[in-house]
Amino acid sequence: MEQHTRRKKWLWLLVTATCALGFLYFNQQTAHAEPTYTIGTGTTFEPYEIESKDGSYDGKNNGIDMDILKAIAKKEHFKYKLKVMGFNAQLQAVQAGQIDGMMAGVSVTDARKATFDFSTPYYNAGEVMAVDKNSKIKSFKDLKGKTVALKAGTTGAIYGESLQKKYDFKIKYFNDSNTMWNDVHNGGTVATFDDGPVLEYGILNGVPLKIVTKPAKTTPVAFAVKKGENQELLHKFNAGLASIKKSGELKQIINKYLNGNAVKTDTASQRTIMGLIKNNKGTLLSGLWMTIELAVLGIICATVLGVILGVMGISDGKALPWTASTITYIFRGLPMMVLAFFIYIGMPDVIGQKIPLFTAGIITLTLNEGAYIGAFVKGGFKAVDREQWEAARSLGLPYNRALWKVIAPQGIKFMIPSFINQFIITLKDTSILSAIGVMELTETGTVIISKNMEGFKVWAIIAVMYLVVITLLTWLSNYVQKRMRV
Amino acid sequence: MDKGYKVQVEDLHKSFGDNEVLKGVNLNVKDNEVVCMIGPSGSGKSTFLRCLNKLEDPTNGHVYIDGYDISDPKTNLDLVRQNIGMVFQHFNLFPHLSVLKNITLAPTQLKKADDAEAKKQAMHYLDIVGLTEKAAAMPSQLSGGQQQRVAIARALAMQPDVMLFDEPTSALDPEMVGDVLAVMKRLAQQGMTMIVVTHEMGFAKSVADRVAFFHDGLIQEEGTPEQVFDHPQQPATQSFLNKVLNV
Ligand SMILES: Nc1ncnc2c1ncn2[C@@H]1O[C@H](COP(=O)(O)OP(=O)(O)OP(=O)(O)O)[C@@H](O)[C@H]1O
Ligand SMILES: [Mg+2]
Repeated sequence: MEQHTRRKKWLWLLVTATCALGFLYFNQQTAHAEPTYTIGTGTTFEPYEIESKDGSYDGKNNGIDMDILKAIAKKEHFKYKLKVMGFNAQLQAVQAGQIDGMMAGVSVTDARKATFDFSTPYYNAGEVMAVDKNSKIKSFKDLKGKTVALKAGTTGAIYGESLQKKYDFKIKYFNDSNTMWNDVHNGGTVATFDDGPVLEYGILNGVPLKIVTKPAKTTPVAFAVKKGENQELLHKFNAGLASIKKSGELKQIINKYLNGNAVKTDTASQRTIMGLIKNNKGTLLSGLWMTIELAVLGIICATVLGVILGVMGISDGKALPWTASTITYIFRGLPMMVLAFFIYIGMPDVIGQKIPLFTAGIITLTLNEGAYIGAFVKGGFKAVDREQWEAARSLGLPYNRALWKVIAPQGIKFMIPSFINQFIITLKDTSILSAIGVMELTETGTVIISKNMEGFKVWAIIAVMYLVVITLLTWLSNYVQKRMRV
Repeated sequence: MDKGYKVQVEDLHKSFGDNEVLKGVNLNVKDNEVVCMIGPSGSGKSTFLRCLNKLEDPTNGHVYIDGYDISDPKTNLDLVRQNIGMVFQHFNLFPHLSVLKNITLAPTQLKKADDAEAKKQAMHYLDIVGLTEKAAAMPSQLSGGQQQRVAIARALAMQPDVMLFDEPTSALDPEMVGDVLAVMKRLAQQGMTMIVVTHEMGFAKSVADRVAFFHDGLIQEEGTPEQVFDHPQQPATQSFLNKVLNV
């Protein structure tokens, strides 16, 4: 029937337009990032990286890595943009071409040499074992049958793993040093292997652990790029490093952090809840703002996708409903974290172009939440009495007019509660994006704790912030629902 | 196909799966003619009516409206439907729109009239069905009889050539039936071509030009009201009339 083909054309037009818009958007995002290098770094790797209170690296004590990078960039006249994310995420991001290089206290290992090119080392770090400051454990032998904390993917972990067989201990993996140290302190694990300087600096700043072994497996620490790529950046780095070595600037930077001259983190009075809020206000608010931005933009894009899926789902014929339910099935079925990794880390390999973090986050939310929205939009349309379709069509209204003027306004009634629910879920789901390093509220929490070790208080603050926003949202939605019912 | 007929049905078949509901119906309706269809429940009257504006897809046979074959894929169905008004048993007003908007929706959407013009016409048709004072009301605020009269006004606003009625009064309380039938009678007198499925034998007798008795997927007998009601030829017709007239 003629109106069917016309309807299909209209649908495809909408789909194409949405895709085109999305593509333009993300092209724009990458285009203006071209002239500067994007360099990855971590948040939780003192003394290599120390974030300022506002979450930037603009303060006085930014850590060994940041100070060296700054000095070299100045010498070699290049600009860079920092991408802050977890250590493993950085390793993957360099390989995926998402970032040009990483300056994150990376140890040079043979395994890594297969896929990375390293600069001249700027430091040599040894691996040490640390235990709680009141622990009786003194040597590897005391570890038998106990559990040891390792930070996944680090040299410390490789060292620990190499000792496991001989000393017969179990291993528990963590993603950042501070959570791991906390665990050792709380007795979840009895010991940890980590880089000497990292631990030394931490202990200097109040981490309640002690180092019980001499540095072993001394490994060089260097700047890393993907093997065979970004050689120009690597050369510039080496040249700059040589010149700050010669001038003594390098030594100065390292001494600043390892001789305890660096300003310590928060004092005791700043560790009350109020103090923590005051100190981290900027970071918390920017995390909250990012969460809201993601949730709002995410739900808007997801609604567009959901409505398209819903309309496809109720259309005549087989192809469109089948396509819609397949898309729904896939994106409802995938864990959102897998989807996020797939888009951010996996897709650039296929499309040959970086996907900016924020864009990747929005795409993830759109696909996942959109699939859910599609299902209840379809359900809402179907909940409208079939006779309404007949009344509309018998007046001569074409399919689309009947859908939008008669069916949709009635179907929305059925969709509103699910929609509000989905908005709240979306807001909470944004926290999953911390996995790919989006600096939203949850990731902000991880970062703040990495600086002050106040796990309970900081997570309590974060939890309350989520609850406040969700409560406001619930009020707003109740209000909207009341108005809709009139 | 004969150009002289407003509605022409040739050998119309319709099956739902294995269930053949229409078994080859033929019917010709002239301009200004009023045909009432009577018959037992489940005999296929509604299905037949719905085939006329293709709410149901006929399995076989032809339906011509104003000479256009509506099963021809080249026929613009929406355009044909604009010329066939349909009134349903359950009114099917759009519950989210006011009475006025119910009536003006199709004319404005289909660019038959601008907003002011459509509103003027809507008031005219509301006047015909005697409900001008309800223009601003929502459908849920109206009685069944009023809703059905609004539904008639809504169909009339598209200025159709033919009106189909599917048991327009059978969902109404008895005291509402008269108002709706009165409106329909006036329409008939003004020359509207109408096909009316009804159980209101009195209405059929007084208004119909022709009565068709539907039974088991076929028109078993048709003729003037006198012929069908007073001198039914078929045993099926006789037994049906016995049942409905002697209650
Ligand atoms: N969409 C459908 N799918 C399957 N069977 C249907 C459908 N619509 C109608 N039928 C069947 O077709 C037959 C005729 O139904 P129809 O509604 O046309 O009868 P009717 O003469 O209008 O009866 P009534 O006087 O009760 O309204 C019935 O047996 C019914 O079950
Ligand atoms: Mg019926």
